[in-house]
Amino acid sequence: MGHTDMTYTRKNVLELGGDWADPILWYARGVKAMKARALNEPTGWRFFGAIHGIDQGLWQQLGYLSSSDPMPSSADIATYWNQCQHGSWFFLPWHRGYLLALEAVVRDAVVKLGGPADWALPYWNYFKPNENQLPPAFASADWPDGSGDNPLYVPQRYGPNNDGNVNVPMDQVNLTALGDPDFTGDANGGSPGFGGVDTGFSHNGQVHGGIETQPHDQVHVSVGGGDPESGLPGLMSDPDTAGLDPIFWLHHANIDRLWEVWRQNPSTDMDPSDPNWINGPPAVGDPAFTMPMPGGVSWTYTPGDLSDLSKLNYIYDDVSPPAGTPQLAARLQRLGVNMATAAAPVRSTAMAGPKTVELLGANTQSLRVTGMAASTSLTLDTAVQRKVTTSLQSAAAAAQPAPDRIFLNLENVRGANDATAFNVYINVPEGDDPAKHPELKAGTIALFGVRKATGADAQHAGDGLTFVLEITHVIDTLHLAGALNVSQLHVRLVPLNPVPEAAQISIGRISVFRQST
Amino acid sequence: MRRAARCPRAWLVVLGLTSLVAWSVLALNGSGLTLPVFCSADMLWAAPLSVSFDLALVFNPPAQIASGWALMVAAMMLPLLVAPLRHVRDRSFARRRARAMLLFVAGYMVAWMIAGVGLQAMALAARWAAPEPLLCFGLAAAAAALWQVSPAKQWCLNRCHRQPHLAAFGAAADRDAFEFGLTNGASCVGACWALMLLPLLAGHGHFFAMIAVTLFIFAERLESPAPLAWRWRGPGKALRIVAAQARIQLAPRNRLGETSS
Repeated sequence: MGHTDMTYTRKNVLELGGDWADPILWYARGVKAMKARALNEPTGWRFFGAIHGIDQGLWQQLGYLSSSDPMPSSADIATYWNQCQHGSWFFLPWHRGYLLALEAVVRDAVVKLGGPADWALPYWNYFKPNENQLPPAFASADWPDGSGDNPLYVPQRYGPNNDGNVNVPMDQVNLTALGDPDFTGDANGGSPGFGGVDTGFSHNGQVHGGIETQPHDQVHVSVGGGDPESGLPGLMSDPDTAGLDPIFWLHHANIDRLWEVWRQNPSTDMDPSDPNWINGPPAVGDPAFTMPMPGGVSWTYTPGDLSDLSKLNYIYDDVSPPAGTPQLAARLQRLGVNMATAAAPVRSTAMAGPKTVELLGANTQSLRVTGMAASTSLTLDTAVQRKVTTSLQSAAAAAQPAPDRIFLNLENVRGANDATAFNVYINVPEGDDPAKHPELKAGTIALFGVRKATGADAQHAGDGLTFVLEITHVIDTLHLAGALNVSQLHVRLVPLNPVPEAAQISIGRISVFRQST
Repeated sequence: MRRAARCPRAWLVVLGLTSLVAWSVLALNGSGLTLPVFCSADMLWAAPLSVSFDLALVFNPPAQIASGWALMVAAMMLPLLVAPLRHVRDRSFARRRARAMLLFVAGYMVAWMIAGVGLQAMALAARWAAPEPLLCFGLAAAAAALWQVSPAKQWCLNRCHRQPHLAAFGAAADRDAFEFGLTNGASCVGACWALMLLPLLAGHGHFFAMIAVTLFIFAERLESPAPLAWRWRGPGKALRIVAAQARIQLAPRNRLGETSS
């Protein structure tokens, strides 16, 4: 990427001073210029969408591809298209480079149109109070002067209730991943890490990382939703169409910002030092990350190139941590630990390794999810359960500063429609409304990527995705209520919208793991 | 931390040692497996096929063929089982891990032992039809090359990467581990059957053919699942990994060359 002395500042899209503040207006003009380019032009809008992923049938159904479109050369397709990294520890760095390339192409168009040379992509921080509604410039079909071809607007955004009201419900997203001290996780049932799992020599991760699951996946599906009439997903709901929606880039700028928030709070949070991460896919025999840039050049990058924001030429206007007590300290307080003596070693102990991860319990039947509810029971292994109880009791006695963490795994989730999301609850009393038990909520899962992962003869083996939710807080709650010594945990899934039979959503196994530190 | 997490686990050591022992026994046995023994009996190929089969079994009792074949599969294929065995281990209760992994290996071996009957018969029939060893080997290599580029091979390879959900408790857990081994083995047979004919027909080059085929199969298993198509499938990714890892180890600060433009 070209070096410049200029520093670009990415700012909050809803705090720019107006719905159509200059940076938004220039973004719209840049997007319009990109959209005017043909499919086979590497700096075109649809070309960039296909870099994330393209399913030609789906594009045709949604009106983004026709038989008259000139296809790029097979070399360009092989180099650039279908690169997106999900279920992998490359999720964050690949998307950072993807943003930088798009930003450079838009800026190039902006400057050619007489706009500011320091234009930078805004971000959408839906976590800020009253900022979870889709930014108005994206929701209007019209430009601010009333003319009707606003390029930031796409009709295929259906929102969390599939009714066209596009927002991110705050009870469906969280920043729990920011509390994970480890960037790298494992696909063994324990923490998938803040940034994702080390996929080794394989390139098709089945387990989404912490920040990828929440809030990333959920925001995709909340915004995109699905067309209740045709059953087709909104653009943002499917990785093969998401990059076509201009809001995609502001969402990912926020995810990129959260990476920096994680790195700085606390500063002991470190990116991987493993050469296989630093050097990216070429270290494991796969193609390098490559993006088209203005002027007909391409840019090849590695995670190591992009890890440190201070070495890049852009910053965020706000990387402050979310309000509230750090998660582990809050947990220890909850368990009755004397924080005056325990707080100091907490973080370092949590980061020490290696960790022991083992299965604690599982259900016995695959689960089909249709309609508005599904439930199952997990039988617990008595001996492993005893270890968990002992760990929690030892923590309260300050004998063990970092008690076990507990993770719920929804294994081999398969289906035909990514625009599916559900809340997961543990041990809600029979007959009670789960919504009245936030303390028993394990989390919300959105099936972003499930369609691709279900197909057997493509880039995946066809086993679907595995989602990991940390349920330590629920287990603590049950422990403190004296309700943990049970032989079973009852899991209830509450879809956010009715799941049609045609979505074919199934969960191979639901299991629970303990991870000791 | 990652370094600690990557220390070889006991089960990996056992897997590697088992394969090594199998290789050693085969090496010490000279020709190792059955068909090279047939080679000295030229009369075999002059007789009708059914007679050839009968004579082959006289010279090579079924138990000897089976044990030789099992050794060959153990030596060549166990290194391929790291990923599926890790899956079985991770998804099983700690107290059941060893049992589940053994059941997986048992299922896998059953698939290959059944395939062994067909492959031995196929090799024998090939030698009967084309008694000239070089011609026979060449025809088998051509068949392997054709299978190698076919969509059917990719279909099998994709299924070698499957990691299904497994029951956690009781007989269902045992059954699932065994069935996973069986289906993984069947996929592996589908992907590798043609390549496995080559050592059987390599005559005195049998042992070296085994080594070459093992390296090739291990290398191609590193590739990700892919769409079904007619195309060449080789050890390209493995070679790139070796080259990249060598450069990483030799480079200061473990960085590959600067790639930013």
